[in-house]
This record gives sequence, C-alpha cells and structure tokens, in this order.
Amino acid sequence: MIKLNVNGVEHSLDIEPDMPLLWALREETALRGTKFGCGIGMCGACTVHIDGDPIRSCSYPVSAAVGKEINTIESIGTADAPHAVQRAWIEHQVPQCGYCQSGMQMAAVALLNTNPQPSDEDIDNAMTNLCRCGTYDRIRAAIKTAAKELV
Amino acid sequence: MGITRRIFMITGAAVGGGLLLGVGGVSAHLLTHNRVGVQQDAHESDDSTHINMWLRITPDNKIIVINPHTDMGQGSSTGLMQIVADELDADWSQMLVEQAPADTAYSNGKVFEGFVREMMTPPEWASTLLENGFYRMGDLMKMQMTGGSSAVRFTGWDSMRHAAAATRQMLIAAAAEKLNVAANTLTTEAGNVLHADSGRSLPYGELAAAAAVLDSPKDIQLKSREQYRYVGKPVARVDVPSKVLANEDYGIDAAVPDMQYAAIATSGVFGAQVKSIDNLDEVKAARGVSDVLIVPDGVAVVADNPWRAEKAVRTVKFTREPHDNDTLSTESLVNRQRQALSEDLTSGMTAGAPDDIQTTVNAEYLVPYLAHASLEPMNATVWQQDGKLHVIGGVQNPLLARARAAKEAGLDLDDVVFQARQMGGGFGRRVAFSMSDDEPLNWLIQAVRIAVDTGKPVKTTWSRETDTRSDVYRPMVMAQFEGALADDGKPSLWRSRSYGKEMNIKAVAPPYKIPNLAVSYADLPHPVPTGFWRSVEHSQHGYFVESFIDELAISAGVDPLQYRLNLLDENSPAAQVLLKVAEMSGWRSGADNQGRAMGVALVHSFGSTVAQVVEASLTPSGPKAHRVWCAVDCGVPVNPQAIEAQVQGSVHYALSAALYGKCDLKDGGVVQSNFHDYRIVSMRDAPRVEVELLPLGSPVGGVGEIGVPPLAPALCNALTVLDGKRRRVLPLV
Ligand code: FES
Ligand code: FES
Repeated sequence: MIKLNVNGVEHSLDIEPDMPLLWALREETALRGTKFGCGIGMCGACTVHIDGDPIRSCSYPVSAAVGKEINTIESIGTADAPHAVQRAWIEHQVPQCGYCQSGMQMAAVALLNTNPQPSDEDIDNAMTNLCRCGTYDRIRAAIKTAAKELV
Repeated sequence: MGITRRIFMITGAAVGGGLLLGVGGVSAHLLTHNRVGVQQDAHESDDSTHINMWLRITPDNKIIVINPHTDMGQGSSTGLMQIVADELDADWSQMLVEQAPADTAYSNGKVFEGFVREMMTPPEWASTLLENGFYRMGDLMKMQMTGGSSAVRFTGWDSMRHAAAATRQMLIAAAAEKLNVAANTLTTEAGNVLHADSGRSLPYGELAAAAAVLDSPKDIQLKSREQYRYVGKPVARVDVPSKVLANEDYGIDAAVPDMQYAAIATSGVFGAQVKSIDNLDEVKAARGVSDVLIVPDGVAVVADNPWRAEKAVRTVKFTREPHDNDTLSTESLVNRQRQALSEDLTSGMTAGAPDDIQTTVNAEYLVPYLAHASLEPMNATVWQQDGKLHVIGGVQNPLLARARAAKEAGLDLDDVVFQARQMGGGFGRRVAFSMSDDEPLNWLIQAVRIAVDTGKPVKTTWSRETDTRSDVYRPMVMAQFEGALADDGKPSLWRSRSYGKEMNIKAVAPPYKIPNLAVSYADLPHPVPTGFWRSVEHSQHGYFVESFIDELAISAGVDPLQYRLNLLDENSPAAQVLLKVAEMSGWRSGADNQGRAMGVALVHSFGSTVAQVVEASLTPSGPKAHRVWCAVDCGVPVNPQAIEAQVQGSVHYALSAALYGKCDLKDGGVVQSNFHDYRIVSMRDAPRVEVELLPLGSPVGGVGEIGVPPLAPALCNALTVLDGKRRRVLPLV
C-alpha cells in the first residue's frame, strides 16, 4: 500500500511505487484538475506542489511523494474563496482552452510563495510550463497583479 | 437519442424548462425558414412550423442561446450572447448559453454558406435557393462544425442577430395583443416590453408562449452600431471562471462506472494496418491488463489504469502489413513535390500576359508537415448502456462525430448518444470534417472499436507520442515564385506554382495590384494524412506571398512597408492596417544599435485583414522575436478583449511553427514524438504582443486564426534585415 497525503487527506492506495503521481491523483483519487499533456516533464500541465515546491507529477513516482504534503489545484481556492492568483487569472481573462491553466496557476502560486515580487526575468525562469493557446501575455500580467495583491 | 417532438413544441415546457421561440417565414435573411423542413424530415411526427434553434426563453425570463459551435476558449459563446442580448434588448444577467445537442436538427448550414460566399459571389436571384441548399447540405453532411473562424461572423452575425431581432419584434407583437395597445407604443428594455403611457411592463418570459406562435416579421429591424450595449465592449467570457477554478470537465476527465483505460501504439506507417500481435501472453500478464487488440492503424491495450495501459502498450511486439508508404521520407516527398511543379499545373488565376515578360527574381519556398499538438491529447470515452452506444469526446463537430461513431459501430444515428465536452485545444485537429480521404476522427474510431470489441466502458487516451504521430497534418507545401520589376520598381509580373489542391485561390494570390499574374498549383494529394490546421492554407501561402513581396521590395530598393502601400488602394483596409502597424511599432527599416530589426507582413484571411510587425534579433541560440504589433480590421469587434487574446495566442502558435515546427517523415511515419522534439514556445520565447482593432466599418470577420499567417513572414523579413539572408525554408531552428 502506498500512503499519500493529498490536500490534507490521507489515501492508502494499492498501486505500484513507480506509478507516476499524476495517474494516482487523476484515476485513484479522482482529482482530475491536474492534467496530462506530455508525460515527460516538458509541458507542466501536471504541476502539483510537494511540500510547497512545484513538481511535474507525470514524471514523479508516487514512492517519492510518500510522507510529503501533496497539494493540487483543487486545494488552491474555491469559487467562494478564490486564491489571489485565481482572481488575477479571472480579471485578466487568462484561459483560452484552459487545459494548461491548473498547472500554470500551480507554478504561479509556487513562484509567488517564494518570490512575492518577481521580475520579468524571474517569471521567465519559473514559468516554464507550455500553453498551446499562447496565453503568455496575460499570464505575465496576471502574475504581476496577483503579486501586488499579495503584498 | 432523437430529439423528441417535445423540444419543438411551441407551447408548454420544453426540455430544459424553456420555450423555443419560433422565427420562421420566408425571409432571405433568416436562416430558420428552411429548418422547418429539415426538422420535420428528422421528426416525422413533428407538424409544428415556426421553429428556431437558436433561442429559448424560460418562464423566469432567462434567455438561453443555443450555440451550434463548440467553444474552445475563443469566446464564441460569449460573442453570440452579446449579439443576442443587444438585438433582443436583454440584460446580461438574463443571458445563458447552452451547447447545441449533437442532433441533425441542429446542423449548421450557415457555416458552409459563409465559406462558399467568401470564395464566390452568387447572383441575387440564387441567394434564397442557395441558403436552402446549404441547410440541406449541412443536414446531409452532419455539419455542426467549428472551424474557419465561422461562429461569430457567420452563425452569429448573419443568423442569430436576425433571429434575435425578429424575436424582439414578435415579443412586442405579443405584448401589444395582450395589453391591447398598438405595437408602436411599446418599447423593450432589459428583457421587458414596456408600455410607457400606462407604465406597464411585461417580462419576455411571460410573453414567449404567445410570441412563439406568431409569424416572424417580414421586415426585420436590426440595431444600429450606436445602440449596442454589449457588442463592441470587452465583456468577460462566460467560460473563464470555471476554467480558472478547474471545475471544467474536459473529454479526458470523463469518468463512468467500471471504466477501463486504453492506450494505443500506432502501426508506424501511415495507412498500414497491424497483422498480428506477437507477444500477446507477455503483454496480457502485466498488472491490470485485460485486453490487447488490433485496432485501425495500430494496437490497443486495455487496463484498469491509464499508466498501466500505456506501459503495457509500449511492450507490444507486432507485425505490420506491408504498405506503399513503407519507404516514405521527407526527402522523397520533397522530390515528389518539386517534380510535380515542373509538370502540368492547374491554373488558379491569370491576369495580363504573364508569358511575355523576363523574370528577374526567383525563389523556392518549403514548409513542412505540422502537427496540431493541442495540449489535451486526443481521447474519447465510449460505453454501451440501455441499448445505446454512449460517447464522450471533445470535438469541433459533435454531430459528425456522432455519425462516425454510429457508422463504426454499425448503428443508426439514433442509437448513439454523443456528449461533447470541453476541449483542451482544437486548432482544426478536432474539426472531424475533411477535404481528403483521410479520417480526422481516427482516435474516435479506435475508441469506438475498443469499446464495442471488448464490451467494456473504455476511455481511450492517446499518449503525446501517439498524438504527434497520428495527426492529420498541415500539408507540407513547396512553392516557386518568379517576379519581374517595372522601371518604377513595382512588380510587373508575379508567377507562382505550389503543391496541393487549392480550394481558395484567393489565399494563394498576392493581395497587391500587379498587372501580370499567373497563379497555378499541382492538384495532387498527399500520402500523409492532412487536415485543417489553424488558418488552413493561409498559414503556408501567407508566408510565401509575404516573403516574396519582400524579396521584390528589396530588389527594387524600396522600404518593404512603403512598397506594399504603393501596391494598394490608399483607402483599402489593407493600406489602413499597414499604416496603423507602422505607427504602433514606430516602423524603421534598418537594424537598431541593439541588433534588432523589424519585418512586416500583411494577410487577409477569414474576412479580416491583419498587418503585423515583428521586431527580432539573432542570438547564439537562434532567432528571437522580441515584440509583435498587430493592426487588425475584423469589422465590428464583437468582444475586443477576446479578439486580442485570439490574436496574441495565434502569434505564439505561429511562432512555434516558424521557429521549431516540423514533422519529418522517415520509413513511412513521423519522426517527432513529443514536446522535446516538437517544440512549443514557452514564456521565455514568447514576444510581447500588442493588438489594435481598427474601426473601418468592414463586415464582421473571423478572429480565431487571422493572427497566424503574417507571423512567419514578418519574422523572416526582419531577420533578413539583420544578415541579408532570405529564409525560404521553415522552421528556422
Ligand atoms: S504532463 Fe507532466 S509535464 Fe507534461
Ligand atoms: S489555455 Fe489552452 S493550452 Fe493554455
């Protein structure tokens, strides 16, 4: 049994230790806000937090997540209490198809947690996720808005 | 799932608790007059007449817009709601949107009509006939497509706007009767009909039943642009909050009881089928694996977790049927195209006497096959329940997808239930409709086969690798150009030859005044499956034409932006957007002291005109686009902020292609497989994109694709300024 702490909830799962965290989250705990885009750590659609750090869950075996705090997009905010990043995302009308956006927001939340006033260069370095719809202009603007709000 | 007569009942509660409002009659403007016939054919027992599929009004005064397009984030739902709200004098808080069911009664011929009218102008007398014909055609072809930037400009502007305006007049007529006053003493506001003299007001919800049985007005009064409250304003898109909160279910998020998961390995050669699976027992022994089967174009493994299925499918050893494509390579295809261009060609457009003139500027261009690479890989969930086949998928044409699923399963359309889900990107990949023999719904066909053959509820998801290697690709195209200059430096001759059937020759011809012109093409197919890729033929030909005109400008020694202006009517939208983009960018023709230079391009597509300036430099790791300015004429900008987003997104989509995009062919299949070798621009590569929309009074144009075509030529034109090299082959890196 693999024990995972996801969004504060303990799960005991009968899965292989080398199963990527992404597939455990999506199909074994039914948290499907975390997306699959490439499976090789290139796109970031599968970004979640492990002890607060952004990781690409498609390339992260569940065995490595045992004993750590896993947080997914589902724990970031709700319709009633959206995170500052989510408010900024709505204000700037960031998503197009929206598929990359849970990973993008997880990357942005992690960036702002460690660097509350990121420069353009910091944003370039941290936001390496891919958006096929090309929402980069608005992601950048939304991060800056969220940063102001979080001061 | 046939739509029951109940949906079309004029009175009483329709499905969804609303009332379908009828707009019928024989108005050449109205899309709906021929729906009656179509719908009656589809539902023999249905004898109701005045029917409109676009609008429902509920008793509690909600206006429901039924969108026959699928919104992938381009904002068509919001745009259509804006149009309807304005024409109907509804308040935004009343507005709701629903996806049209994947039913023949909701097929959309308007899209067809729009495209054909874009390419030719029918005589006035044929207009109504044509309109009827297109709806019949839409019906027969199961047309419910989102593509060609058609939702707002055709369905919305041509159809829903009229339907909503007519509905408003009918609501007034119903109110006049009820209040026993003259219709011209009534006005409408915020979803109510008002009688100023008596101070009475009636909500639309109370009038809908009476209005629905009235004849639609012959003389439809449309709002003037000054009267719009929502059209032209930056309205927040209705689909954004749920996407931000990750509450949106995409096709890949489907979950049904006892669901199993399938992964696919492709045969590796286009068109070749798998003959046998050679290590069946070994694959089946893996944990969770239940089935291993041959499917069209490959093999499938079904397991109890998608990762187990994917892991297992990578271990399958199989034998493939031999196929003509076994030796296909990029090199052989390039040679084939070059050979074809030296043989008999089809003439697309000729003007003047092109054969008399000696040419002085010659060039050969080549762009590769491209995958769409939508971020959500293709997937579909299929199961059997209560005697029906159920399908969940994200497609740009739900009705056609339903029909294809039915055909594959050997069922009638009525025995298939199709749920269209949110799509993680489409870009033409999910259009489902094809101009060639290729099957764009190849993933859906596999998913249906798997569910039918195993009898299990199965979600089939392509890996990124399978997605990249099983696409219907943007065609590789070679194009050859010859030009000559007159004494004043203007082109005296333009001759082009390109590979591939060209349905829309306007996309291939230059938009400039050139006295002698010969545009021809090799009307030959591709052995590689091809499909529609964001901006379709404009993506290749925009690059060719706007690069070659730059070559002519340089050889004439004239500033490239001025050169283009010299070949355009001063007041044309094309000249206006060029002047605007020059102003926005602070256009300069040489390199600056930071080693940056500008390039320009101008492309008319999907009824809109876009001029772009790219500022670029050459870095040790390759070309870099720093900034992009876009001046856009798309007629009435229904939702400016959504249009800006579309143009920005298109620039990044096109930049990925210009810098990195290629699908090489080797041994009959595509070499590239995932984002490491099929690269997409990231935040770091993404230029800042500024967009301005010009109020030129043009007809409403498309917006979802128009930003793509000018990017590659503008970028290449900028780089030529820096090093004098002309880049005639893409990608650049
Ligand atoms: S799916 Fe994990 S990085 Fe792409
Ligand atoms: S919004 Fe579609 S991939 Fe980013």
